[in-house]
Amino acid sequence: MKKLLLATTALVALGFMPAQTVFAQDNTLVVGTDVDAGTLDPRLTRDTTASRTADLIYSGLVHITPSLEAVPDLAESWENPDPQTFIFKLRPDLTFSDGSPLTADDVVFTYTTLTNPDFNAPARALYSPITAVEAVDPLTVKFTLNAPYAPLLSYLDVGIVPKALVEGGADIALNPVGAGPMKLVSWNRGSEIVLEANDAYWRGAPTMDNVTIRIIGDNSARSQAFEAGDLDVIQSPLAPQDIERLAADDRFGNVIVAGLGVNYINFNTKDPLLADPKMRQAFSMLIDQETIVNDIYQGVDQVAHSIILPSSWAYSDAIAQPTFDIEGAVALFNELGWTDSNGDGVLDKDGADLAVTLATHSEDGNRVQSIEFLQAIFEAAGVKATAQISDWPSFSTNYVQQSKHQIALLGWLNIVDPDRLMFAQLTTGGSTNWGGYSNLEVDELLQTGRSTLDQAGRATAYQAAATILAEELPYYIVSAQGYQMFYAKDLPVEVQATPRGNLRGLIGFTD
Amino acid sequence: MLSYVIRRLLLLIPMAIGMVIVTFGLLLIIPGDPAAVLLGQDATPEAILNLRNSLGLNDPWYVRLFDYFAALLRGDMGRSIFQNQAVSEIILGRLGATIELAVVALILATLIGLTLGVVAAIRQGSWIDTVTMLFAQIGVSMPVYWLGLLLMLLFAVQLGWLPAIGRGVPLPEALLAAVTGRPQVLWDSLTHLALPALALAANSAAIISRLVRASMLEVLREDFVRTAYSKGLRQGRVVVRHALRNALLPVLSVIGLRFGALLGGAVLTESIFAWPGLGQLTIAAISQRDLPLIQGIVLTFAIVFALVNLVVDLLYAAVDPRIRLG
Repeated sequence: MKKLLLATTALVALGFMPAQTVFAQDNTLVVGTDVDAGTLDPRLTRDTTASRTADLIYSGLVHITPSLEAVPDLAESWENPDPQTFIFKLRPDLTFSDGSPLTADDVVFTYTTLTNPDFNAPARALYSPITAVEAVDPLTVKFTLNAPYAPLLSYLDVGIVPKALVEGGADIALNPVGAGPMKLVSWNRGSEIVLEANDAYWRGAPTMDNVTIRIIGDNSARSQAFEAGDLDVIQSPLAPQDIERLAADDRFGNVIVAGLGVNYINFNTKDPLLADPKMRQAFSMLIDQETIVNDIYQGVDQVAHSIILPSSWAYSDAIAQPTFDIEGAVALFNELGWTDSNGDGVLDKDGADLAVTLATHSEDGNRVQSIEFLQAIFEAAGVKATAQISDWPSFSTNYVQQSKHQIALLGWLNIVDPDRLMFAQLTTGGSTNWGGYSNLEVDELLQTGRSTLDQAGRATAYQAAATILAEELPYYIVSAQGYQMFYAKDLPVEVQATPRGNLRGLIGFTD
Repeated sequence: MLSYVIRRLLLLIPMAIGMVIVTFGLLLIIPGDPAAVLLGQDATPEAILNLRNSLGLNDPWYVRLFDYFAALLRGDMGRSIFQNQAVSEIILGRLGATIELAVVALILATLIGLTLGVVAAIRQGSWIDTVTMLFAQIGVSMPVYWLGLLLMLLFAVQLGWLPAIGRGVPLPEALLAAVTGRPQVLWDSLTHLALPALALAANSAAIISRLVRASMLEVLREDFVRTAYSKGLRQGRVVVRHALRNALLPVLSVIGLRFGALLGGAVLTESIFAWPGLGQLTIAAISQRDLPLIQGIVLTFAIVFALVNLVVDLLYAAVDPRIRLG
C-alpha cells in the first residue's frame, strides 16, 4: 500500500510540475505536418512532406515562385534555339552539401533516371515529351523534345541528385545529399525530420539555422501542439473549428493563398445515364458550391467557375459552368423525359427511377460531408442518390480508375500549368481519362495549348477548351483549393506562404 | 514449469502461421492496389502493370504466400513497398516506443484501477464509491483519441505544464542517464510520456477498477475475512493481505488481456501524440496498402501479445498456489 501511495504521489507530482521548454532553441523553425515523408529522393516524392522537405534539401534547375513563375535556381539562364530544344546554363562552382561539385552530368543523370520507366517515378508522365538530355559541357545541359511542350519549364524544379554518390550505391531516399538551402541531420521515421543550414547553397546560408519537421497525424492534435508552442508553423489540412479558434488568437499570423488543387466531380461519360451532356448539366445544377465552400470548407477554398484556376495566367471570368439551381435542374430532367409519373417524389422514365451513386473517399472528412450534403439535395430534386464512401485505395484504383463510378468527388493537386489538369485527363484515351470523355475539338485545343510556346496563344487555346468543357461537363470543378498557414508571429524571418506549402519562404528565402 | 514454457513457446509457431495466413487472406480480399497508390493519380496503366510485376503482385496467391513463408524461415519479413527498407528493420526501430508506451500505460492502469477499485469496495455505497465508479464509467466509454485531445488541451495548451507531442529519450536510456547524474533527461522523457500513457491507460484503468471492486466485494464477504477481523487484525492488513490477494486472481488474467487492448489503443494514441511507434506506422501502412509491412506489424503484435499472456499465466501460478503449470 505504501509503495502504491508513493507511486500515485509521484504521478500526481509529475502532473503539477511545469514542463521544460526544450523546444525553444534560437533560430529553429519547427513545422507541423500531417504525414511522414515516404522518401527523400526528389525524383520519387509522392506526399507533401516529402516534396516540401526535398525542396529544402535539393535545388532544381529552376525554382517556382509563389506566383508560379519559373526563375533561375541552379541554372543561371536558359534559351530555346527552337521550340523542341531547351539549353540550360548552370551557375559556376556549384557544390552539393557534401562538398562534391555539381555539374551537367548530375542534371543529365537526374532526368535520365526520372524518365526511365523502370525507375517508376510518380511524375514520369509529365516528362514524357523529353527524348534526350545531354551534357554539352560541364555547365551546359541540352533537353531535346519530340514535340513543342510549353509546360516543361514549370516541371523542371525537380531536385538535382548527385550522380557519383547514387551510382556508388548511396541510398539518397534515406540519406539525401542535395544542393539546396538545408541538409539532413537526422530522420526519425514517423516522428521528425531535422535539418540544418547548408552553407554551400549558392544563395548563401538561410536565416534559419535549423528546421525541424514534426509529424502529427491528427489535425486537431497538430493545432493544439501549435497553440501550446511546440510548433512554429502549421498548414492545411486543418480542422474548420481549429481554424476559427487560431484565427482569433493574436499570437499567430494567418495567411490564405490560392492553392494548386481542385475538388471536382468526375462524371462517367460512358455511363448510359450520364452519356448525354444535358444530363450532366442537370446534375451539375444540383451542386451547391456556395454552401460546400463556405460551410463545409469554411471559406478557405474558393468557388470555382471553370477548369482553369483563378490564379492561372490563362484564367478568364467569361467562362462559367452551370450554377446551383434546383428548379432549373428539375426542368431540364423533365425536358429529358424524367418526370414523377407515379407521384412518389422520385423522377422516373419508362418505369425506372432516376438513381445515381455519389462516391468519394473516407480520408477527407470535407469530401465525405460534401457528398452527404449533395445526396440530400439530389433527393430533394427527386433523384434517388446513394452515397458510397470507401478508403482511398479502394475508391481510386478499384473504382474510379476502372471507370466503375457514376458521379465521383475527388481532386487534383499541383496544377502549376493548365495542361496538368486537362491533357491526360480529358483528351481522348488520355492516361487518366477515367470518365471516358472524348471530343476531337477539345483534343486539338489541348494539343495546341501544350505545343504553343507563347503564353497568349496558349491562353486562347485553353479558354476555348474550357468553354466547351463548361458546357459538356466531363468534370464539374467544385472548388479551387485554398491553402492556409498559421505561424508564430515571433519568427525572426519575413514569412511568405506558397501555393504548394513549400517552406523556403519561412527560412529567409522569399520568392 | 520449464517444459510448460517450452510447450507454450512452441505453440507460437502454429499461431504465427495461422496469423500470417489470416492476414494474407484479408489483404487479398480488401480492394486497393499498392502499385497504383505508389505511382499516384498520374500513373498510366502500363506503369502500374510494370510495377505490379516487379513487386510480384501479379503472381498467384499461393506463390506469394509460399514465397513469404520461405523468406520468413530465413528471418526475412520482406521489404516495405513505400519505405523501401527491410520490414524487420522498420519494425525494430519502432517497437521499443510502442512497448514503452503500452507497458507504462499498463502499469498506470493497474495502479489506478487497483487503487480506485479497492477504495470503492471498502467504502461500498458511500459517495466515494459513487464518484469512483462514475469515473470508471466515463473511462470505459470515452474513446482514446477524444480523451487524448482533451488531456492535451488541458495540460499542454491551457496550463502549459507538459509538452503536447513527441517523445523524449527512450525510457531505459533515460533511466540510465538519471542514475549517472542527469535526472533532467529522465524528467524530459517522463513529461513526454505522461499524456499519451494516461490517455491510453484510462480505459483499462476503468475496466480494472470495476473488476477489482466486484471481486473485492465478493472476497470481503468470505468467512476467512471475518475470521481475520475477529482475530483483531487492522483493516489495512486484512484488505491487503487477505482480501486483495484473493481478489487479484481474476483481475490478473484481465490485465494480461488488456495488454492486447493497449497495443490496439496505441495505434490511435500514437497518431494523436506523434509518438513514433508501431501504431502510427500501422495506420500509414494500411492506408497505403503496404502489404509486407502490414503483415510484419500484425505478426509482431501477435507475438508480443502471446508472449505477454505467457508471462501473465506464469504470474498467475505464482500468485495462486492452487495452480500448477506443467
